[in-house]
Amino acid sequence: MALGTILDPTAVRADDITHPGPDLGDLRGKTIGFRVDIMWRSWDWISALWAKELEAAGAKVVFWRAGGRTGDEGARMAEGLKDFVGQIDAAIVGLGNCGSCTGWTIHDALAAAARGVPTIAICTQNFEELGHTLARRGGRSGLRLHILPHPLNEREQADVEGVGREHYLPMMAAFGAHHTAAQEAAE
Amino acid sequence: MTEATVKTPIIRDCGPEGCEVDWLTSRPIETEVDDVLDFTRFAMEQDWGDGLPLIPPTVERVREFLAVGGRYPDELIGVIPPMNTECTVEKIVINAVMAGAPAESLPLICAAVEAICDPRFDIGGLNATTGSVVPLVVVNGPIRDQLGIPYQHGCFGGAPSMATAIGRTLRLLMRNVGGQKLGVSCESVFGNPGRIAGIVLGEWEERSPWAPLAQRRGVPGNAVTVYGAMGTMNILDIDSHSGPEFLESIGRSLAYPGANNFCPSVAFGESMVAINPVWAAIIGRDVPDIMDVQELIWRHSSLPIDAFQKRLADRIVETGRVQADGRVYLTPTPMDVLVFVAGGTGSLHAHGIHSWGTCLSATKGVQ
Repeated sequence: MALGTILDPTAVRADDITHPGPDLGDLRGKTIGFRVDIMWRSWDWISALWAKELEAAGAKVVFWRAGGRTGDEGARMAEGLKDFVGQIDAAIVGLGNCGSCTGWTIHDALAAAARGVPTIAICTQNFEELGHTLARRGGRSGLRLHILPHPLNEREQADVEGVGREHYLPMMAAFGAHHTAAQEAAE
Repeated sequence: MTEATVKTPIIRDCGPEGCEVDWLTSRPIETEVDDVLDFTRFAMEQDWGDGLPLIPPTVERVREFLAVGGRYPDELIGVIPPMNTECTVEKIVINAVMAGAPAESLPLICAAVEAICDPRFDIGGLNATTGSVVPLVVVNGPIRDQLGIPYQHGCFGGAPSMATAIGRTLRLLMRNVGGQKLGVSCESVFGNPGRIAGIVLGEWEERSPWAPLAQRRGVPGNAVTVYGAMGTMNILDIDSHSGPEFLESIGRSLAYPGANNFCPSVAFGESMVAINPVWAAIIGRDVPDIMDVQELIWRHSSLPIDAFQKRLADRIVETGRVQADGRVYLTPTPMDVLVFVAGGTGSLHAHGIHSWGTCLSATKGVQ
């Protein structure tokens, strides 16, 4: 048996931001941006429901829908993302419900977080570890994630909306929100 | 098993032209190096491997590879998601040594890495997806024969050649530099056999009635075209006699409702077809213009909207993809159908390769 020196075939990204970023805080007067996609009807239903709650709590809500991320459409999406994160005070980014869409969800959440706005990414349970892994590998392991049950998209609309209602307050708590109308009502 | 220990490198002369500075920056690790099975076991424990035997990437082997390959190790070739780490020539060489690739293949591997890192290819999505997609590499130019890249019998898999080690190098780089780990950063539900050693083949340019694939994409000579392949599908036709008949057969075979490109969430995509040299001669005789070939395949690789189940059909209608003729097309335009000539002379089969979706093919010259 002979010992020798080999070279490590891997490459590791060393930088990492472990802080989750700023809390959402008081909702009143803030512009909350939802990043939705062209894949998940379940996320359309839940984000629409959450948007109503946020508006009731005094926030303004805007939506940005991500499409194809390559070629000419990809260039338009890159510009669209830049505009989107430039006009919001906080970002709710989803939906990580497949491999590549979790990749782009985290990518877009990192873009918002890099701008310093409170950001939370939404994934389903099966893709929770992937979401955290990609956030870490994107240099921000502290990125907030809120996890919805899986499977989700396979359910009927009423069932999915039930999940959305059930998860609104926990999501807002994870986001560091203060004094939402829903919370006040619950109290 | 030998315990790995970090130590300082002791060899100080290196680089393709000989230099006095140590260009190698990778972490040196002392371990067993004269037994492939022991090293493979060690590498698997480190999560570096793919299950096949690995050659220990000793400092000496890496330097020798670099000297033959003629590239400096600190040259940055691309950044590979999801790790978003820099893929330098040094990392390529270390993984190529482990895969058993020849040093002469370094320029081709570098070109392939450059291609998969092209933003249009979306290697980040490809690395993470639940799909089974893998980069397929089509090689054009004299380098095919110089490296023995197969383009005749069994070229998609099974032909004994260095293409296997070259493709395996790309796969190791996606794991070890890109950070593609199943169940952690990669959600592929099934994977596919091409994820072991890649899919690397050439075009049989001499038997093609049309210009080489890469040349048609603006890169003449030695070049690679990478394509996000969901797998391969057989297209058998023992009845056609004319070019238009073969193209209709190919097009119809490509269109099935579960193809990723028909998913309403896939905004656009490509498709790829390898045509055997016997059919190519017939098709070239009857349809000499490659754009007409693409047009005919494209026209037939479509389905009437009522061929889809209702929920799917409703969503396709919402996207506006149903054309005036009531059909849904696999790709947006005929130009999105990639066609090349390869395969044995036994005829009878074409090879269809569906794409994963919006990862668009990329062509790069081999420097």
